[in-house]
Amino acid sequence: MTGQAVWELVTGSFPKILEYGLKVTLPLAVIAFILSTLIAVGVAMLQYAKVPVAGPLCRFYIWIIRGTPLLVQLMVSFYGLPLLGIHIHPFIVAVAVFSINEGAYSAETMRAAMEAVPAGQLEAGYCVGMSYMQNMHHIILPQAFRTAFPSLFNALISMVKDTSLASAITVVEMFTRTKQIAGQSYNYLPLYLEVALIYLLFCTVLSFVQRGGEKLLGSYGVRK
Amino acid sequence: MALLEIKDLHKSFKETEVLSGVSLSIERGEVMSIQGPSGSGKTTLLRCMNFLEKSDAGTMIFDGEEYELAGIGKAQIARIRRRTGFVFQNYNLFANKTALDNVALGLYSARRIPKKEAREKAMEQLKHVGMEGFAASYPAQLSGGQQQRVAIARALACEPELIYFDEPTSALDPDLTAEVLEVMRRLAGEGMTMIVVTHETAFAKEVSTKAIYMEKGKIKETKGEKL
Ligand SMILES: Nc1ncnc2c1ncn2[C@@H]1O[C@H](COP(=O)(O)OP(=O)(O)OP(=O)(O)O)[C@@H](O)[C@H]1O
Ligand SMILES: [Mg+2]
Repeated sequence: MTGQAVWELVTGSFPKILEYGLKVTLPLAVIAFILSTLIAVGVAMLQYAKVPVAGPLCRFYIWIIRGTPLLVQLMVSFYGLPLLGIHIHPFIVAVAVFSINEGAYSAETMRAAMEAVPAGQLEAGYCVGMSYMQNMHHIILPQAFRTAFPSLFNALISMVKDTSLASAITVVEMFTRTKQIAGQSYNYLPLYLEVALIYLLFCTVLSFVQRGGEKLLGSYGVRK
Repeated sequence: MALLEIKDLHKSFKETEVLSGVSLSIERGEVMSIQGPSGSGKTTLLRCMNFLEKSDAGTMIFDGEEYELAGIGKAQIARIRRRTGFVFQNYNLFANKTALDNVALGLYSARRIPKKEAREKAMEQLKHVGMEGFAASYPAQLSGGQQQRVAIARALACEPELIYFDEPTSALDPDLTAEVLEVMRRLAGEGMTMIVVTHETAFAKEVSTKAIYMEKGKIKETKGEKL
């Protein structure tokens, strides 16, 4: 293949690959990230408050999820759900599995960040008449979220790349689409390099979003 | 009638008894100082009185209402806490709130006063402790003395009838100590009822109407009016 032909292959496939990045990969990662953060906050709060039964159940959830590969979780859900009579689109299965998976990791990040808020602030809150939930809302969660934000965002960036695993359960996302195009042209390397660059582009943009988010959240006057 | 009376308060951590039958009483407008060696249970006593620790036994009479300390319920705790303030040794300001919101938060969250009004009231209290120029500063941007003055303003904002101080100056340099003691002296002059754990003997002599000396979880000596 001439350089000219390779160039045409790369530029010609660019919109097709990018389309799946924007239509499948990014939405999968972003939706799963948002859901996983919600799961994480809930699970972290249950543990932080040492709620009986629910607290230990959360530990169990984290234990299972962290102890098994994401790929296996995808497979088990994909083949298991129909047996339970649940037939949903593979994309939805992927969103659910990614959310639940990331939720377990982020829950630990959140819990640690909550525990890092000095207990004295909680006591001070009680002393001015605030309830546990008011303390959560105004004192603990905002500080914990600020502390956890870079780690949570890190998880999002990892997830953008891990979405390629969704191909294992028939979701055609950016990487699978690249493979298809490469298969038709019998020229793999340029296309894989191309998709690598697109992942890099996505993650670079997200890094900027992270910086912006950190600025927006502020640092409460702590000099960094 | 005493504003607050404690009878026979007991508190243990695991096997160790830290408070072995403490009784005291304070009238409105009085300033009680509590002194004693390290580990004698002064902090624990204040924390038990404001329910940050659970007492094992004892009675509290607050403004004529009697409470069993060991079995006191959440609602009763909330009712008493609404009428008292607490100033900590290490300030415990809310790190994510400005000085102004540290003072206003209790008003607009717990007391549901509209935010704007709460902040106006908070500003008044910051003026009271000479911190109005730092309303927009975060705790991390303030000196220890300034943080403690904000913490006092925060306690004052809830219009307490009694304020507990646990060694409010012992984390501070001498000149910063002076600015905090100055604020407390003024409060005492205005007739605020205060219970103050302090190592500042001169200050305790000067402002307190009643002085308690603790040792090994017991009150060893009370100076001032009758107990
Ligand atoms: N949470 C706790 N768990 C176990 N023991 C505790 C706890 N808090 C205090 N103690 C013990 O109770 C005793 C009294 O402590 P406390 O802090 O009330 O003393 P203090 O008079 O305030 O001393 P200091 O002047 O050093 O502040 C000490 O022996 C301390 O080790
Ligand atoms: Mg102490």
